[in-house]
Amino acid sequence: MSNKLEVYLEEIGHFLSGREEREEILSEIRSHILEKTERESGGTADEALDKVIAAYGPARKVAERYLDGRPIIAPAYKRHLFRYTSVVFAWHAILTAAAVIFKEDFIVFPFLFIPRLGVMEALMYLPTAFLADLGIVALVLYFVTQRGKDVKLPWPRFGVDLDEVKTPAKAFWARVGTAIGAAVMSGFTGFAIYLFSRFNTVFLTSLDFDRARPLFTPEAGRRISLIVIAMFAASTISLVIKLFTRAQWVDAVSNVVSLALIGLLLRQPFDNLFAIAIPESLLPKIKFGLKFTLLPVALFITIALIRNIVLIGRRKLVARQGGYPAP
Amino acid sequence: MTETEIGSLETEMNRGFLHILVLALLEKDMYGYAMAKHIESLGYNVEENTLYPLLRRLEKNGWITSKWELGEDRPRKFYAITAAGRALRGSLLDIWKNQNRILDEINKENADVQ
Repeated sequence: MSNKLEVYLEEIGHFLSGREEREEILSEIRSHILEKTERESGGTADEALDKVIAAYGPARKVAERYLDGRPIIAPAYKRHLFRYTSVVFAWHAILTAAAVIFKEDFIVFPFLFIPRLGVMEALMYLPTAFLADLGIVALVLYFVTQRGKDVKLPWPRFGVDLDEVKTPAKAFWARVGTAIGAAVMSGFTGFAIYLFSRFNTVFLTSLDFDRARPLFTPEAGRRISLIVIAMFAASTISLVIKLFTRAQWVDAVSNVVSLALIGLLLRQPFDNLFAIAIPESLLPKIKFGLKFTLLPVALFITIALIRNIVLIGRRKLVARQGGYPAP
Repeated sequence: MTETEIGSLETEMNRGFLHILVLALLEKDMYGYAMAKHIESLGYNVEENTLYPLLRRLEKNGWITSKWELGEDRPRKFYAITAAGRALRGSLLDIWKNQNRILDEINKENADVQ
């Protein structure tokens, strides 16, 4: 018995593992290949066997023909995957915000557990929560599909429907706007780099460079300046890339980078931050002000990131069904 | 229309035709390789990796039965049609004949128009 044939059958068997009729399927394929090789080439020489095996087809494809073709989620329910995920995630996000604000745990066993979170933890938690929600909705739709009955899934006719997403327009003015944005951001980046190279910080008490003094202490000023320069640079790079492609992944990557940088910024120690004299009573207020300026920004970026992930998934799905091309 | 598009439509058309073809062939007990060769000799090609899974599905539904036989030093799985398979074949042939009749009618109407 040829070793090549056994290797081929083993490969098919691998893709059929778990099926009780696996051995019988393999026996029949073995019998067919050996007979065809013998009758059509007069022997079981390796070369002839190779040809017959090649004609039979790749192992995975052969195995797939024996597998049940039922989809994991029926085509009629696929659009509900992102619809329902958006609703579940909206509740998840609201409860997460409540957990942060009220400093409480939220438990809806076994579906939801939101521990008491700090703001940064909550921002890290939300993308994970989105993936969990997507998984739960997919699981429910899987069971609905496997039941094989016609279930009319409800969906109200209001609110944001991500099914209605259209291909981003490659309009001339959109590109002009992006080009202006890229130019402005590269100006900011260049200016920040200039300040940093001259003063080792971008935060100065005055724009009159002869009289300017650093706002922050040297080490803190250097760290925060580098983060801010990285934010400007990331934004510039993202805008430049968007001049060439409107692909959603550019926005998604940009969101991730921005979130990481805001996270770094929020983690900077506040004590001994200022190099200039600030009244003691004012410090907590400044700290509070800074956090509550950055947090809404981070929240908006998180929402944008999730929206972009949904859009990428949605577009891929539509493209696979013959719609507009995937990004 | 590209060859790929025609090929994919042909695959769809073949799906039903292959059921009738196999059920018609199995009036006499046959094994897979012999079936494929016989079909080929009639001027039609069926891929082996399509034929065997089809036989398995037909058997699962009770339309054909199978048994292993040892002949010429090689075990072969022979298939035979069942009473349910014959009934199915009759129904499928009726559908197929009706489809052919409809297409013939339309072709005649088209010829008259031209």
